[in-house]
Amino acid sequence: MGTLRRFEVHRATSVDEAVELRRRYGDDAAVYAGGTELLLAMKLGVARYAHLIDVKPIAAISGVTRTDGIVRVGATTTHWELERDPLLRRALPAFARMEANVANVRVRAAGTLAGNLAFAEPHADPPALLVALGARVTLQGSNGARMVAVADLITGVYETAIGPDEILTHIEIPVPPEDARVAYVKFQILERPSVGVAAIATLREGRFVGAPTLVVGAVDEVPRRVATPRLAGASARAAETRDAIAEAARAAVEPIPDLAGGVEYKRHLVGVFTLRALDELVAEAA
Amino acid sequence: MNADRDARGDRVASTDSDVRPERDVSAGIDVERAGTGGPAGTSAPRADGVAKVTGAARYAIDLALPGMAHAVVVRSTRPHARIVSIDRESAAASPGVLRVITGADLLAAGLWPYYGHIVLDHPVLAIERVRYQGEPVVAVVAESKREAAEAADLVSIEYEDLPIVVDADEALAPDAPIVHEQRGERVGDEGMDQGEAELVGNVCAIARVGWGDVDAAFATADVVVEGEYRYPMLYGYAMEPYNALAFFDQGDLTVYSSAQHVYMVRRDLARMFHLPHARVRVIAPYVGGGYGTKSYTKIEGIASSAAYLTGRAVKLDLSVEEAMLTTRSDSSHIRARSAFTKDGRLLARDFDIVMNSGAYTDNSPIVNSKTANRVFGPYKIPALRVVSRSVFTNTVPGSSLRGFGAPQGNIAGELQMDEAAAKLGIDAVELRLRNLVGPGEEIIPGKRPIDADLRDDLRCLATALDWPGAEGHAVGLGVSASDAGAYPTSTAAVRIHADTSVTLFTGSSELGQGSRTVLGQIVATELGVPLSAVSVVSSDTGVVTYERTTGASRTTTVTGKAVQEACREARRRVRQLAADVLGVPLGSVQDGPGGVRAKGETLTYGEVIERWFGAGGEVLAHGAVRRAEHFQKMPPFWEIGCSGVRLSIDRDTGLVHVDRLTTVGDVGFAINPALVHGQDAGAAMMGLGAAVREELVYEGGQLVNPNVVDYRVPRFSDVPDEMVHLLAERHDGAGPYGAKGAGEGAGNTIGASVASALGRILGVFPHELPVTPERVWRLLRSRA
Amino acid sequence: MPAREIRFRLNGSERRAEVEDQVLLLELVRGLGLAGTKLSCDMQVCGACTVLLDGRPVSSCTTLAIEADGRAIETIEGLADGTALHPLQQAFIDKFAFQCGYCTPGMIVAAKALLDELPRPDRATVRRWMDGNICRCTGYETIVDAVVAASERMGGAK
Repeated sequence: MGTLRRFEVHRATSVDEAVELRRRYGDDAAVYAGGTELLLAMKLGVARYAHLIDVKPIAAISGVTRTDGIVRVGATTTHWELERDPLLRRALPAFARMEANVANVRVRAAGTLAGNLAFAEPHADPPALLVALGARVTLQGSNGARMVAVADLITGVYETAIGPDEILTHIEIPVPPEDARVAYVKFQILERPSVGVAAIATLREGRFVGAPTLVVGAVDEVPRRVATPRLAGASARAAETRDAIAEAARAAVEPIPDLAGGVEYKRHLVGVFTLRALDELVAEAA
Repeated sequence: MNADRDARGDRVASTDSDVRPERDVSAGIDVERAGTGGPAGTSAPRADGVAKVTGAARYAIDLALPGMAHAVVVRSTRPHARIVSIDRESAAASPGVLRVITGADLLAAGLWPYYGHIVLDHPVLAIERVRYQGEPVVAVVAESKREAAEAADLVSIEYEDLPIVVDADEALAPDAPIVHEQRGERVGDEGMDQGEAELVGNVCAIARVGWGDVDAAFATADVVVEGEYRYPMLYGYAMEPYNALAFFDQGDLTVYSSAQHVYMVRRDLARMFHLPHARVRVIAPYVGGGYGTKSYTKIEGIASSAAYLTGRAVKLDLSVEEAMLTTRSDSSHIRARSAFTKDGRLLARDFDIVMNSGAYTDNSPIVNSKTANRVFGPYKIPALRVVSRSVFTNTVPGSSLRGFGAPQGNIAGELQMDEAAAKLGIDAVELRLRNLVGPGEEIIPGKRPIDADLRDDLRCLATALDWPGAEGHAVGLGVSASDAGAYPTSTAAVRIHADTSVTLFTGSSELGQGSRTVLGQIVATELGVPLSAVSVVSSDTGVVTYERTTGASRTTTVTGKAVQEACREARRRVRQLAADVLGVPLGSVQDGPGGVRAKGETLTYGEVIERWFGAGGEVLAHGAVRRAEHFQKMPPFWEIGCSGVRLSIDRDTGLVHVDRLTTVGDVGFAINPALVHGQDAGAAMMGLGAAVREELVYEGGQLVNPNVVDYRVPRFSDVPDEMVHLLAERHDGAGPYGAKGAGEGAGNTIGASVASALGRILGVFPHELPVTPERVWRLLRSRA
Repeated sequence: MPAREIRFRLNGSERRAEVEDQVLLLELVRGLGLAGTKLSCDMQVCGACTVLLDGRPVSSCTTLAIEADGRAIETIEGLADGTALHPLQQAFIDKFAFQCGYCTPGMIVAAKALLDELPRPDRATVRRWMDGNICRCTGYETIVDAVVAASERMGGAK
């Protein structure tokens, strides 16, 4: 480590140009924005590219906007910007809080949300919450643009549905209804989270209005949605509801064992943190 | 200092004790309060302060020479293999490459290709065989680091795998693969003076300590506790990774290095190049962290041989990942038994220790022998049997790390005190108080009697931790005494200049511990000059005086004494010159602050010097200490560990939360209280890291966490809610003003303390560190 | 590969450099003689290489030098005003907030970014912000002491 092998950076000024560069260089090229994941992988020698396509100069894919109940995050927006963004903090405070706890301050200052998704490192915070919120991304390629749900974007460990000539340009996050509560809690003892649970629900008099949404991230190869249809109308505090939720969450994942813990322990943690996410919803609703 | 710390301090200070809350942790020189007549005893600001906060401080890694070349190391991908062939053609033809060097090249060039201060078994570059994954095999030297790295990618090594052994217990099995079929030449006896006949198979070294009839004592015991304990392999993570810059000038070798012990490195390099010591110069500028990890030779041989074979100055900077493949600490597996009477008197202790020492000898024999004599603790033990074996395995070589065998042993020795207390129904502090040696009593027959009041230290520690704890929390604490200071050979020189300023020459390296500051304080105090008139030149074998090591917490005590001797000699010389110039008998010349008094006249050193020489001039004086007088009895001092924690756990996750960590710095006298505080805080945090999180993990022969992302050291968020540091100053050390060493002790008991506190919460004492959340959770579940 | 010309402001001075694309910001500043910025973990977790890029702390070990084009870089060497130390630097000395000093430049630069954004942080905020900077020597508490002391000295509004 310490030195990067040679490569050339191509500064794209439009999405079309970036797409064209991807077409031209194929597997020899990688899309580059914050570089926090990419350059690290290249320093470690696990990835090697002769060409980096810098998308930061593309003005059209930066910043945060809100229209019709959707927050639209440009691909070059950093975690640092998101945790401070007044619009995001107002519309999706739980998301802004999650962003403020991604990695460390320097990684947040350089790294982008889009890069985090595109890299598909399984031990990550944003995917679970984005899946829970029903977020989608725009992928633009030579055949035009398409929208893909974050749930469908991440297909495996370091694997995504992004096509060989596509650029992830925006992330669109629907703002949940006014009375919905959103929580994200995680367990982290190493550099990355080992369990993250996103929960969204509307509670009325302590009962779920409709079924709550629960997504477990960072523990399995991809974020896993917890099956909760039977919980519509259930009391959020009732012991049987809690047991059912924890059980469903544990059953939803196939944890990847690593230095943070084995399968059994991580599965246990999934139950614990699912209930903690639920507790946060209940506390917030109270 | 903030209010709550003061409040805690008051509570302790109100007990009838010599232990006081830390004083003067902000920089300041209050000579009135020091009591030494000079700045010794005050928190004088660091001598390296401005350099370090402005980025001006230069570490070896920052140095460059015009025209220097760069080396990059190609490392073994196999844990144990015969090297069949090395294809270096394309690397050699790669742009900018000067030379691609193998171990065989060193032999062909007539160099001595092994190093080691105890056993010469560590090849500079692998010869015929690799013994661990990560071992240096080839050095590529090129005009730039990038070119060297690119060429290194092109080196192809063919291996023939050999059977491996990673676990130390397995390495002791009769049919285990043998890591060293032939032993290297013995060049040092430390830690190797026992059990010669037993150094077979994978046994690297053996140490035995004991007395009395152990078996008989166990037979009469009312209560026996028995168990197996494990302390992990650790990486010290000194943040400046190993690096060296070497060049030859007229056949003389100069090496700038990140080394702690420049004189030890000099010896290895002199042997390697068949040079007299005088023609090898090793210089350690500022060193970016040591903690024992930079003791002894590391990569200086690679850089120097590259310089030798290319005729160029060569820089070799390792990455942290490579540093992790260079040195780690020896892990321990201890089978322990302790026997007690029903009123809690220790009758006997019995320890069988296996240390995993990795692929080469390095410093493991000494670590092993220290584990053996630190494991049983500073207790009165009628019968003792300790046998400790250092064992070769196909893993990164083990060597020194802060505490040096003490934490590895303490986990067994101290935890058994807690387990026995629970079994006996006696308070664990009381049990210790009943058995601790008193001031002036011997821990080991024939060794220096203990120069500390451990009972008072322990009582204060217990008070400061609110022993025995309250609902939801538990307290764990412990004591240790380490035979510290290493072999007490130390020298120093002072030059008094014609303007009454002083230069101190010392072989001790500034690792951050504050040696330049403390030694400067001693000079200023002894010579009666302001601190601002003292300059310290250190750790350059071409210039400074001999110092055996910068380790074992010795600098203040042992080097400090040599500095005092040098100052006294300098004063004697100045008095002699003054007698000459004033034409008075020597006996009538008195020492004064910064000079002499005679015939009713007060002369500064400078005035005496200038008058004696006529113009200019200086006085040069040498001071030496050896194993004699104060230091006749070994060890030079006992380093005390007396620390503990108060913690709680998250029962859902097994996460440990330390809300208070307390240390008692039993240092005899704090020459610089703020620096003592820093040493205690740093050692304790390092101990806490090992207790709860740090561990090098092997899967087969592969280290699976060879980086500081996956090997997690403590962060800001891991700091206990409160850190309380107490000082015990009884002027009972053999060093200057009654000082004795600090820097390791505070961390030595933290592992066992965390385990014992957890034991009180869980109802079962964890015997294996670190207590990761998963391990705690498993213990919780086993109790459910 | 042709080098690219970049222009940037380094500790207040306009500078120009020719760099190849793969050159890291750390290599650039150290190559310009500013060796206070240190390399350690090389993986963005230790913070020894922290510099400010347009006021934001980044890991210069994992940032390309070309990113500095048109921007302002601030390193540890830029904090003191001549021989007058920045209050953070003085506080680090006064509070013994370092030992070996290898992490210190990155530590001080990270703390500066904090105080620039939040002039009067409490201890918990300091700990959280600085959590990405590793110190192996001090046990961290004196660093928190120093940052809080500096913020008080700088008269930051609460």
